[in-house]
Amino acid sequence: MAAAATCGTSAGNKGCTAAAAAAAGGKNNVTSFQRKGPRASVPDSGCARLVSIAGTRPSVRNGQLLVSTGLPALDQLLGGGLAVGTVLLIEEDKYNIYSSLLFKYFLAEGVINGHTLLVASAKEDPADILQELPAPLLDDNCKKDFDEDVGNHKTPESNIKMKIAWRYQLLPKMEPGPVSSSRFGHYYDLSKRMPQELIETSKWHGFFFPEKLSPTLNIEPCSLTHGYIKLLQFIQNVIYEEGFDGSNPQKKQKNILRIGIQNLGSPLWGDDICCTENCDNSHSLTKFLYVLRGLLRTSLSACIITMPTHLIQNKAIIARVTNLSDTVVGLESFIGSERETNPLYKDYHGLIHIRQIPRLNNLIYDVSDVKDLAFKLKRKLFTIECITKLTFYGTQGQKYLLSGHLQRNFAINNNHYFRRLHTLKKIY
Amino acid sequence: VTASKGAGQGSRRTLEMESVWGLGGLVLLRDSVEWEGRSLLKALVKKSALCGEQVHILGCEVSEDEFREGFDSSINSRLVYHDLFRDPFNWSQAGEALPGGPLGALRALCRRTEPGPVTIALDSLSWLLLHLPCTTLCQALCALSQQHSPLGGSPPVEPVRVLGLLHMELHGPGPMGALSSLAQTEVTLSGTAGQALAHILCQRPRQHPTHQTQCFSILPDFSLDLQEGPLLESQPHPDPHIPPVEPTTHLTFNLNLSKKEREAKDSLTLPFQFSSEKQQALLRPGPSQATSNIFYEPDVYDDLDQEDPDDDLDV
Repeated sequence: MAAAATCGTSAGNKGCTAAAAAAAGGKNNVTSFQRKGPRASVPDSGCARLVSIAGTRPSVRNGQLLVSTGLPALDQLLGGGLAVGTVLLIEEDKYNIYSSLLFKYFLAEGVINGHTLLVASAKEDPADILQELPAPLLDDNCKKDFDEDVGNHKTPESNIKMKIAWRYQLLPKMEPGPVSSSRFGHYYDLSKRMPQELIETSKWHGFFFPEKLSPTLNIEPCSLTHGYIKLLQFIQNVIYEEGFDGSNPQKKQKNILRIGIQNLGSPLWGDDICCTENCDNSHSLTKFLYVLRGLLRTSLSACIITMPTHLIQNKAIIARVTNLSDTVVGLESFIGSERETNPLYKDYHGLIHIRQIPRLNNLIYDVSDVKDLAFKLKRKLFTIECITKLTFYGTQGQKYLLSGHLQRNFAINNNHYFRRLHTLKKIY
Repeated sequence: VTASKGAGQGSRRTLEMESVWGLGGLVLLRDSVEWEGRSLLKALVKKSALCGEQVHILGCEVSEDEFREGFDSSINSRLVYHDLFRDPFNWSQAGEALPGGPLGALRALCRRTEPGPVTIALDSLSWLLLHLPCTTLCQALCALSQQHSPLGGSPPVEPVRVLGLLHMELHGPGPMGALSSLAQTEVTLSGTAGQALAHILCQRPRQHPTHQTQCFSILPDFSLDLQEGPLLESQPHPDPHIPPVEPTTHLTFNLNLSKKEREAKDSLTLPFQFSSEKQQALLRPGPSQATSNIFYEPDVYDDLDQEDPDDDLDV
């Protein structure tokens, strides 16, 4: 979290103020209190109030250091971005199409911002995953691409200026267009791959589990599945050696480590929670998440995990996993379900559920008011929208009864005004 | 016209089957008590043998003679049979049995190094699921169907196809779900009165899964005959008892306005809008607007006591 950053800087600050006090003490001997201010002469890991790492920004609510998830619409729903030191858990959709997109967006954002990546997977080689990252939309042609994608779907009613509810036009739209010089949150073109030179200049570590699995291994019974132990050791090594946890503080510029773990909990990691309901190692995954969160909290890193929760047989495990993660987003795609033919959902490809948002150094949640969110995969963009039709039509039954009576009872007729009001209360 | 259209459809469907066939990866053949799948497995084995691919068979459920029955000698000579049926636990010390049991046999298949396209038939996956832990089997299947070249460089050009026969009734939703998530293609067999039907769910990587239904029959020499049949490129059919949801019925307000209605609506002056007529009316108070009148007819429940209730208080 930002705690690590501020610890580093406050240690530096104390050093600076002590040195300055000694120097000033020699001069006028009056006071050793010095005002902390930005000093240009001190080296980079010194006295800046907030360490300015590329690709991060402090939250407007409480100053928490945030990184972008790669999808600005998702950043907005999560309250500005993903906090450094936390875990974003994505509950996969049934065929793992859209969750892998979110995973790639997260990694692509890391490549663009120059963060270090750690990609762990048991199914695909991390090098192959990195080859498939989407290309960033550059400033000059991004507005054109964005408009051409969005403009096809503008309905005629939305162009009419609202006469009665004109205040709603002043509300910010769900997905703001690409800002030309945005340093936080970039847009990506899914139809193109990220250029090879960008990937090569980025620093990344890959963990491909089948390579680490030696076939003649005697797996001693342990509380954590073998795959998880190896992954935790790998992450810990990378954090320690690269100095993300504050060791080797003076040597290099602070950077963020973006960790991506794919398909955690699937049988390919050696965990059998997807195979049986009463499994031997049912606490393996939860212990892994607990230790992982401890590693993340003490380092400048952010983690995205995709998990096939639709395969987990024991629902109690899903609840425990949700409690142990910080931010949980669930994807539900309409492929193969009866909702595909429902006219309410015909413009969308699935629903997105924000299941949990953390309260970090805060007493209240930063939840957006909109609960009915759906996503759509266009040719180049992945967009998240609010299902507006649901707010128009409402649910059956009760609401229609109410609206019908409202229409009849509020006929402006002074004689029977109070009587009608009374009857409305009785119906309630 | 209909004949050519039928022929066109047939050739289109065979092309689709070919593209599904060429995909490689894990193909699950899910059969049930009503419709067995071993004949389809043997038909696919024969098809790949005829294409000149190497074919390895891991036989667990039936004996080698029974599996080879029905194939002619040219095909039989191409099949490499690994027999786990005769001696699965390696009790006879003859040394013919495969070392390491079923897991060792699978790992040995992973390690073969001959180049060229290869088909591996597992007869059956159900037997392997019952004898091996599910996670180990999934890891072995993943390693088998993604053969990386020993150099570790570019992915292999020739597809490795793993055909697994799975009996659906034997397993719970857990292992079935786990294997489905690993599979590239799932073929579910069903059928009515002599006509076999295959529901094929094909998941190409990073694309939407496609679902098609194919009628077929297996000839006595295990050739596969794809037939015309109901072409259901389905979206799932809504349940006929539940009418499709159309949210614009039963509304108490009118969503579709005609042109005249829309014009009337647009020309309506809204109550809070401060138009010039209102301004004039307010500036020149008319005779009827000196005082505003309230007409009130008391209701049965209204209490019209003229006394002030606060009079009782001793204030």
